[in-house]
Amino acid sequence: MACEIIKPDRILKELGELWIDTAKSDPGKPGTESGDDGLLRACSMTLISFVDDEEDSMALGETLALLMREHPSRSIVVRLREGEDFLESRVLAQCWKPFGHRKQICCEQVELTATMNHLQDVASVVGPLAVPDLPRLILLRSARIVRAGALRKILPLADKIIVDSSRPGAPGFGELGAMLDSGHIAGDLAWTRITELRALIAHLLGETVPKVITIEYSGREAGPETRYLEAWLDGGLPDTHVRIKSGGGEGLGTPLVIRIDDTIVIRPGVGCAEIEMGALKQRASLAVGRDDELLSAELKIVVHDPVFERALNRITA
Amino acid sequence: MPRMVASFANVNLMSLEGLEDPLRFSRKAPPCAVVIYGANGDLTKRKLMPALYRLAFEGRLAPGFAVVGVSRTAMSNDEFRERMRESVKKYLEDSPFDEQLWVSFAQGLTYLAGDVGQPDSYGELASHLKAVAAERQTEGNVLFYLSTQPSQYAQIAEGLGSVGLQHPPEGHSETWRRIVIEKPFGHDLVSAGVLNSRLQAVFNERDIYRIDHYLGKETVQNIMAFRFGNGIFEPLWNRTYVDHVQITAAESIGVEGRGAYYQEAGALRDMIQNHLLQVLATVAMEPASSFTSDAVRDERAKLLRAIRIMRPDQVADNAVAGQYGPGRSGSEHVPGFRQEKGVEPHATTDTYAAVTFLLDNWRWSGVPFYIRTGKALPKRVTEIAIQFRTAPLAMFRKATAGAEAIPNVLILRIQPEEGISLRFASKRPGSGMQIRPVSMDFNYGSSFGERSPSAYETLLLDAITGDATLYTRQDMVDASWTAVQPIMDYWATQKYDFPNYAAGTWGPAASDEMLRRWGHEWRRP
Repeated sequence: MACEIIKPDRILKELGELWIDTAKSDPGKPGTESGDDGLLRACSMTLISFVDDEEDSMALGETLALLMREHPSRSIVVRLREGEDFLESRVLAQCWKPFGHRKQICCEQVELTATMNHLQDVASVVGPLAVPDLPRLILLRSARIVRAGALRKILPLADKIIVDSSRPGAPGFGELGAMLDSGHIAGDLAWTRITELRALIAHLLGETVPKVITIEYSGREAGPETRYLEAWLDGGLPDTHVRIKSGGGEGLGTPLVIRIDDTIVIRPGVGCAEIEMGALKQRASLAVGRDDELLSAELKIVVHDPVFERALNRITA
Repeated sequence: MPRMVASFANVNLMSLEGLEDPLRFSRKAPPCAVVIYGANGDLTKRKLMPALYRLAFEGRLAPGFAVVGVSRTAMSNDEFRERMRESVKKYLEDSPFDEQLWVSFAQGLTYLAGDVGQPDSYGELASHLKAVAAERQTEGNVLFYLSTQPSQYAQIAEGLGSVGLQHPPEGHSETWRRIVIEKPFGHDLVSAGVLNSRLQAVFNERDIYRIDHYLGKETVQNIMAFRFGNGIFEPLWNRTYVDHVQITAAESIGVEGRGAYYQEAGALRDMIQNHLLQVLATVAMEPASSFTSDAVRDERAKLLRAIRIMRPDQVADNAVAGQYGPGRSGSEHVPGFRQEKGVEPHATTDTYAAVTFLLDNWRWSGVPFYIRTGKALPKRVTEIAIQFRTAPLAMFRKATAGAEAIPNVLILRIQPEEGISLRFASKRPGSGMQIRPVSMDFNYGSSFGERSPSAYETLLLDAITGDATLYTRQDMVDASWTAVQPIMDYWATQKYDFPNYAAGTWGPAASDEMLRRWGHEWRRP
C-alpha cells in the first residue's frame, strides 16, 4: 500500500505548475491581439465531492465536466476506500472551448484517494485548498462516510452540503434535519428534482386554494420526492387537504399523478408533464433531471433555503 | 419545537405566502393572448416566435396562452402554424426544438387575415379574441404587439380603440390590455410627439410599451448590476475620477439587403437616438431608490434630459457623419454604400456617426461622452470604455519612456465575448522600474456557462407580466430626440463629400479629429 505525505502547499504548487504547462501547450494563435486566444482560467467556487472508490469514476467525471461549464470551480474529488493506509493525490485541468469562441476555458481539479482512517488528514488537506473568498460546497455521494457516522468531520469544510436522499446509503431526513439544526446549509437533490413540478403546480394554481390535492406515486412506498411534495403543499396551503396514495406496482415512490380538486390533473413524465384543465390539454416541458442539471440548480443557492427547510421541518417534526 | 430557519434577502418563512419559492422558481407569465400585427414579417419569424416558443420550452407560459397572428396575407390557421414552425426551427438559438412541445404550443396559434386600414378587421379581431379567451382560458388579457411599418402604429392603435379593445371589459379589474411598439418612435422630435399623442388618445401611457431591444440584452442589464451591486466602483463614477467615456457600436458588415430602409434612417437615427443613448443613460444615470419600473425609468429620463443640446454652430465640432465607400473586410471586397442594392447612387445617408455629448449635471459636468457607430467597420464590437484620470503625479515618467502615466480604463463589453476588463499599470519583472499596462479580465461566458435569454424573451415576458423597467417611456423618447434633432437639422443643410471612409476602416478622419480637439483618441477595440 502506498501512502504519501500530502501537504496543501505542494498541491497548490502543482496547480500553479499545471497552469503554466497548460498555457504553454496552448499559447493561442500567433499574430493575434493578446487576450483573444489561449486559455482562460475560470473559477467561481470550490466544489468538494466525496465519493466511494467503487463509484463509476467515468460517470462522475462526466457530471463534473458538464457542471464546470455553468459553474467553473476548483474541483476536489475525494475517493474513499476500505483498507489501510492509502493516501495519494494528483492534479489535472479540465478544459473546453465553448462553441464559436477562440479561448479555451480551463478549471482545475485535485483528486485525493484515501482510506477511511485518513479522513481526518483529508479534511486538513482539503481546507487550505479551497479558493479564498468564494463559496465552498460539498457534494456527498459517499455512503461510507454516512455509515461511519463521520458527517461531522467534513461539515466544517464547506458552506453547504448537497446530498441525494433518494440514493442508497445517502443521509436520510433525520441526518439532514440534524445538519440544519447545527446551523449548516444543506441541499437535497430529491427536493431539486421536483422544483419544476412544484413551479408548474404553483403557476397553475395562482391564487386559487383548492380543497383537495391527491398525489399518486409509483410503487408501494412514498419516496423522498413524494414526501417533499406533500410537505411543501401541506405547508403552503394550510386550508387544503393534501393526501398521498400508492398507484401500485413497482417503482421508486416518485409522483405519478397530481389531482387538484379533480379540475386539474398533472402527469409528470421524463422531460415533460401533461396537464388537463377541463377540455384544455397542454404539455409543459420539465427538465430531465440529470445529475449535472440538478447539481447545477443546487450550486446556485448558497444560502439557507426557507422553503426547503420548511418542508423538511414538516417531514421530521 | 420548530427548527429555526435563517432568513435571506429579506425573505423569511413568515413572509412567504402560499406556494411561493422566490429562490428557485423563475418568473411565469399569466394567461394571455398575444396579438401580433405583422405576423408574416421578418421580426415575427426571426425573433418573436422563437422567443415565445423558448418561453414555452422553459415552462414560463401559462397553459392558457394564445397567439393571434394578423397580417394581410390570406392564410389558414394550419398554414400559419406551419410557417411559424419552420421559422422557430430555423431561428431558435441555443435551444433544442421539441416536436411534441411544438404541437402543444401550436394549438394556441391562430391567424386572422386583415388589412389594418379596414375598420371591419378590428371588429373581427374583437370577436376572435372573445372566442380565444373562452377556448384557451386567457382570462381576457391581451398584449398587442405591433411589428408592422412604423407608419401604421397610430392607425392600428386607433383601430383597436374603435372597438374598445384597449380596455378590458367592465367589471374585469384584474384583466389587462397592453400595446408594444417597435422603434423607431417617430423619425424626428415632431413626428414622435404626434405618434405619442395618437397612441395616448387610445391607450394609457402605463399600457404603452416602447421596445428597445438593447435594454433587454443581459449585458446591458449587467451594467446596472455592476454599478449598483458593487460598492467599489460607484464612488469613482463621476467627474472627479472619470476623464471621458467612449461608447462604440461597430458593425463589420454593410447594410446587406436593408439598403432601402437604411437609406431613410441612417446611423444617427437607427442607433444613436435610441439604442446608444439608452446605453449612455444606463452608464451615467443616478442610482434609483429601488429597482422598480418607474424609479429606474425616472433616473434614465433625468439623465437624457441632462444632455446638453447643441447649438447649430456647435454641431460641426461635436458630430461627424460618414458614409463608407468600397473597401476590404479581411480578404473580402466590400462594395460602397452607394453600390448596395436598393440604395440611390447619390445617397447622402450617414452609415457612420460619431457624437460628443456633454451632460449638464453635477456628476458629469465637463466629462465628454463620445458615441460612435457605423457599418462596414473592421470588426463587430459593442463596448463602453470608461477612461479614468491619470495618477496626479507621474512618478514613473522615465519608466514609461517619457509618456504620461498610463490611465486606467474600464471596459464593459456588450458583444461579442461579453465581459468586463480593467487596464492598469504593472511593473515588468526585472531590475529597474519598467511599467507596462496589463488587463484584468472577467468573461461573462466563462463565469456563467448557463444560457442567457435573448433580449426578446426577456422583453416579451416583461410586457406580459407588466414590468416596464426595460421599456422606454415617452419622456425618454422625447429627450433623446431633443438631443439629436439639432444634429439632424444641421446635417440636412450640409453637402458632404461622401463616401468619406473606406469599408473595413474605423471611420472618417474627422471623427479622430473630433476627439483630438479634447486631447483624446478613439480606442481600437
